[in-house]
Amino acid sequence: MAFRHPSRALRTLHHLSAQPPYRPISISRTPRIPQVSLKTPQRFPSMRSSHDSSKSSVDPTEVSHFNALASSWWDPYGPSRLLHLMNPLRHTFISRCLETTPPLSSSLPKKLRYLDIGCGGGIFAESAARLSRTESVTAIDPTPEVLKVAEGHKRRDPVLVQPGKLTYLNKGIEQLEQPKSEAEQYDIVTLFEVLEHVNAPAPFLEQILPHVKPGGWLVLSTIARTWTSWAVTNVLAEDVLGIVPKGTHEWRKYVNEGELREWFGKKGGWGSNGGMRTMGVVYVPGFGWKEVSGGEGWGNYFWGVRRDG
Amino acid sequence: MPPRLSLGAHRAVSRAQTVRARLYVRRFASGSAASPETYDVVCVGGGPAGLSLLTGLRASKITSSLKVALVEGQDLQKNRLPHDASLDTFSNRCSSLTPASVKNLQDIGAWSHANTARIQPYQEMQVWDGISDARISFDWDSIHTPLTLRKPTQPTTIAYMIENVNTTTTLLSRLSELGGVDIFSPTKVESINLGTDTPSLDLSSWPILTLSNGKTLAARLLVGADGANSPVRTFAGIHSRGFDYNRHGIVATVRLGGPGRGGPNHKIAYQRFLPTGPIAMLPLPGNLASLVWSITPQLAARLKSLSPNDFSAMVNAGFRLSATDLDYLHTLEAGQAEEVAWREKHTPVDERSIPMKVVDVQEGTTASFPLKMRHADTYIGERVALVGDAAHTIHPLAGQGLNQGQGDAASLTRVIERAVQTGQDIGSLLALEAYNAERYAENNAMLGVCDKLHRLYSVESGPLVGLRSLGLRAVDAMGPLKGFFMGRAAGGV
Repeated sequence: MAFRHPSRALRTLHHLSAQPPYRPISISRTPRIPQVSLKTPQRFPSMRSSHDSSKSSVDPTEVSHFNALASSWWDPYGPSRLLHLMNPLRHTFISRCLETTPPLSSSLPKKLRYLDIGCGGGIFAESAARLSRTESVTAIDPTPEVLKVAEGHKRRDPVLVQPGKLTYLNKGIEQLEQPKSEAEQYDIVTLFEVLEHVNAPAPFLEQILPHVKPGGWLVLSTIARTWTSWAVTNVLAEDVLGIVPKGTHEWRKYVNEGELREWFGKKGGWGSNGGMRTMGVVYVPGFGWKEVSGGEGWGNYFWGVRRDG
Repeated sequence: MPPRLSLGAHRAVSRAQTVRARLYVRRFASGSAASPETYDVVCVGGGPAGLSLLTGLRASKITSSLKVALVEGQDLQKNRLPHDASLDTFSNRCSSLTPASVKNLQDIGAWSHANTARIQPYQEMQVWDGISDARISFDWDSIHTPLTLRKPTQPTTIAYMIENVNTTTTLLSRLSELGGVDIFSPTKVESINLGTDTPSLDLSSWPILTLSNGKTLAARLLVGADGANSPVRTFAGIHSRGFDYNRHGIVATVRLGGPGRGGPNHKIAYQRFLPTGPIAMLPLPGNLASLVWSITPQLAARLKSLSPNDFSAMVNAGFRLSATDLDYLHTLEAGQAEEVAWREKHTPVDERSIPMKVVDVQEGTTASFPLKMRHADTYIGERVALVGDAAHTIHPLAGQGLNQGQGDAASLTRVIERAVQTGQDIGSLLALEAYNAERYAENNAMLGVCDKLHRLYSVESGPLVGLRSLGLRAVDAMGPLKGFFMGRAAGGV
């Protein structure tokens, strides 16, 4: 897989014909016809398929991919710039989930425990750890090189090196020990720009859910699988503007907002009393990331779901 | 990491002190010195911009948890304006605070601490061309047309004349009310270096300040509010470009023949553009006024050497006589008073459109300083932000220097607030770039306008004089356009 400046900020569809056999993405059981004609034969099996075992939720090619990104992760003008610019919006969205959702019977503590899954170089994990309302952040990523970058960067801030404040673990979610009590669960579990890199989203999410405390939130951001996201990222961002490094994303892995709602709705125990939140965002060159009402229907979006309790 | 810059050499200290500072740096760099005390914000410079920033940070609920320090070479307490300061004397360092700056001072809770008896709001501005006499007058009543009636809520004040020492004392009072700032004053910064990378902590991107009291401070964000020759800017390797106008600004506190033509409740500011530079008379409480006269260094030196009587006469001539008359008067060694009196008899002027005559100059207030235009290439670096004169030095003709600094401080406060709310490292370029984006273009536009005005009015004859007069008269005739200019002067109200 050849790529110049890999980045997770936007996604590209590339070398479809050279891809290994097709990987499932649809989160619903109903096969769908994609809006973009692809070169390879299409098939949309359930995300519960046994295609990938749950032990390897993340594709090894993705891991090597982000290794190559490591050295430039914290360069504000490097290939990860779009991710850096997006980071404040993540907090905006989490604050909105916490502060403007009708409450449940159980309320969250004053100080919050975070679990950041797929933390990369630590852009979100560091910022979450600096917040005054944060008790601790545990951040995990299966890619060893970016974890080294994250550890190295953490040492540059005396606040972050305080014992127990920010802990990095070189693990996938499946290697993280399942919580035995509520005290080991997390108030906020985050999954930013990860879902679109996962081979089988449903088993992957199943691994995550036990870590969320009742009343706590699973917050993620990803990209809708639509013809606009394909056209914008593949044609515009990669070929025309050249701002998106090749090889970061695969459009077929994208998950739509409606699919998440449906999946969690069927699951039960999640999202009651208004506990499913969405925020569509779009990157406007020269202005940065902007919230766009309804943007989840055609591009990048944030999504949060609260565990009932 | 070797020390990047020893400021000991930069300052006018004895050689022994310089050597001591360097030795200390070496010792620190080798890691044997005590570890520095860590701060979120270290502000170097306790002028109006730096104090406004710190007050804003302390007043905001979002940023009040930040650990902040101020380092100032002067003794801040000693330089405070006494509560019972006499209204007969005023400092010669005054500024014209725009309503936008005042609003910011209100927002951070400082304005109520101001010594209001020493602040003079003015409601009208008279500006005219010394060659053609083309004139523009500004007051909020003149800018509305039958279609744009003046709203009752609209302000009538164009700006507020205030001594700089009143502004800093106001901010210091608010700051001591808020508390929570470690103030090192009078304390000099002896050196700034980057920190070291140890196994436990990597401070190689953190500025470490060594102070004259022996303390060392590590700054997550180092703010340079340290003036036009900013050592912080030098440390950050940020260039400041510009030029000298080959002009000096003469300032003085003068006593006029009365409180002004509009009486004590309608004060007027005057500015006349002479080929040598603008001369301005800005109202202070009572019969006092603040003079700012931009002129060549040679003429400035001569004016300063005159007797108070002759100096007063020259100021009166500056608003009344022709450029030719003034050229002659500048050549005299003494006796200007008689010469001006004689010439005034033969020069008809409309006394209603010029300031009242200067009758006296407050002793010890006549001073001058070189005029410069400087603009830093950027206001930010890794863990560094520049505010006020450290970022830009402007021609004083529009009285915008201090206001720009206040705008910088307010903007940087907002940017730091946003960064804290979203968990960003407030010293990172990513967090700071919004500050640079917000302030650089705006300040650059103001620097450019004032520079162009200076150049435009330096021309004594030819088609430019006609054009600029035409422009001035046209603007004066058009209410809405004038309203736009006044809005800009008032700070974008």
